[in-house]
Amino acid sequence: MTTAVETRPIIDRATAHVEMPEKRNTAGRVGHTAVWIVLLVYGLLSVIPMVWLLIAPSKNATQLNSDNPFSFGSFANYGAAWEHLLTFQNGVIIQWLVNSVVYSFAIVVLSCVSAILAGYALAATAIPFKRTLLIVTLVAMIIPPVALVIPLFIEISTLQLFDTPAAVILTSSFYPFGVFLAYIYFTTSIPKELYEAAKVDGAGEFTTFWRIALPLSKGLFGMLAFFSFSATWVNYFLPYVLLGSAENYTLPVGLGVLFSSTPALNPGNGAQQSVIGRPEIALAGLIVAIPILIVFLLSSRLLVRGVLAGSVKS
Amino acid sequence: MIAPYLVLLTAFGIIPVIVAAITSMEPSTLNPGGGPLNYLQALQDFRFLPALGNVGIFLLLYVPSMLIVVALMSLLLDAVRGRWNLPLRLAYIVPASLTGATSVLVWYFLLEPTLSPYKDVLHALGITQGGQIWTSGNLAWIFALMAFFTGAGNWIVVQYGSLQSISDDILEAARIDGANAWQIGWHIKLPLIKKYLVYMGILVFAAGLQVFVEPQLISSSVYPGLASNWSLNQLSYSFAFQSNNLGGAAALSLMLLIVCIIGAVFVIFRTDFFEGSGVKEK
Repeated sequence: MTTAVETRPIIDRATAHVEMPEKRNTAGRVGHTAVWIVLLVYGLLSVIPMVWLLIAPSKNATQLNSDNPFSFGSFANYGAAWEHLLTFQNGVIIQWLVNSVVYSFAIVVLSCVSAILAGYALAATAIPFKRTLLIVTLVAMIIPPVALVIPLFIEISTLQLFDTPAAVILTSSFYPFGVFLAYIYFTTSIPKELYEAAKVDGAGEFTTFWRIALPLSKGLFGMLAFFSFSATWVNYFLPYVLLGSAENYTLPVGLGVLFSSTPALNPGNGAQQSVIGRPEIALAGLIVAIPILIVFLLSSRLLVRGVLAGSVKS
Repeated sequence: MIAPYLVLLTAFGIIPVIVAAITSMEPSTLNPGGGPLNYLQALQDFRFLPALGNVGIFLLLYVPSMLIVVALMSLLLDAVRGRWNLPLRLAYIVPASLTGATSVLVWYFLLEPTLSPYKDVLHALGITQGGQIWTSGNLAWIFALMAFFTGAGNWIVVQYGSLQSISDDILEAARIDGANAWQIGWHIKLPLIKKYLVYMGILVFAAGLQVFVEPQLISSSVYPGLASNWSLNQLSYSFAFQSNNLGGAAALSLMLLIVCIIGAVFVIFRTDFFEGSGVKEK
């Protein structure tokens, strides 16, 4: 953060030896202000949707339409909207919430543990076909997970796992990005001599990992869990395709169900009376978004350090 | 130690592709004989070309806007180090928490002129009903907007991170040579983060090619049928779940997958992005 202090004089010095220093300085200041305006406007555009979503459930359906978009209704309305959500299919939203938490937890554990073990094995032990494995992992990492959904559906149906929690948990635990991050971490951040010294002392591969590598990888574990959780919590297509009955759905899939079954968003959806209106939909969306937002803000230090820069530099 | 990952990789990375390849040859009501005809039929389906066109336009809007805005914003962010930098970065990653189904929901509200936070802007543009925005001609723009806002902020912060790794000596030298902030950004910083941008471009392209949630949710709820079979993945989904044509679904999925694999192989072997990671032979 001290860089700001040292860059200013240098820039000033650089512009000073141009013929018209005064004019240049004004231009520089205008440019600087313009940069700030662009950055701030983009910042505003970034937070407006979230701010709006945070306060939307504080208003009832009428207030949502008539009041200022950024006015706050009352806290009681959050409670009322939640009560209304609970009436939808006998409180199935609680089940979705529980499912989301349970699936995500299982996926984060399975994906991170397998990724750390594999990353270490690739980085520090002698295994056959190491380069092939790395290439396959990279290919799998770059391909968007959505690309495999239909093939996975065919496989899961063949295995008769369709519409089971295991279908979502197992398929989502495949985490090539995590393996690659762990591999890069173990090859660059921990000196090879450390592993070798342990092995010379007679420690086996697993002991070396357990005693030397693992205690040094708390930060890595945090980063892996962060990426795994934020991808899993919001995943839509995979659970949507692999699950069939409402009681197995996750929150994002359930949100889709709420969407399509309420006349609030689309009056053409039928004349049926529903207590699920726009504030309720907004609250449901908020429940999906909030954990991700919290995790993001808590992990901002990780993002600040530069995930790509830190991990790929050799 | 690699065993758990190896099991997952085989079971959910490799086997699905093999299963899909086998399935793509199986007979269906449309193609009782089975075989490679499934691929041809998927391509000849009357919905295929429109879906390809939609996704093409979507990608043309989405990928370049990501590249330009992310490059520009991360350079600007890098130019103003100081204590306001961190709050800005935090603000930029906020939209990433509104993805998938939530993104559709939020954008439904943002584009609904009766209650949108931008309703004054929409009214000024003469838009008073959601139906004026949600037309089939606008869909590519709307979905590109959704995808852009979900992804751009995170990438700006990530690219800002890669700008931090540029050594101060290089920047110092440029300043002494009389380069101004714009010149340093354009001639020095941008080329140095080019490989990260290429990497992002391919990742974004591959993800965009697979667009599914946004059109699927919009047409199954708010505007029924407006965007049904709009994207290639939706078509593949329809083959599987509506036409009961798993062969066609598998064939189409595999073709999309192959495009993504080509992109992946290109990144790995034709760019220097993974230099030094032990993947390339020395």
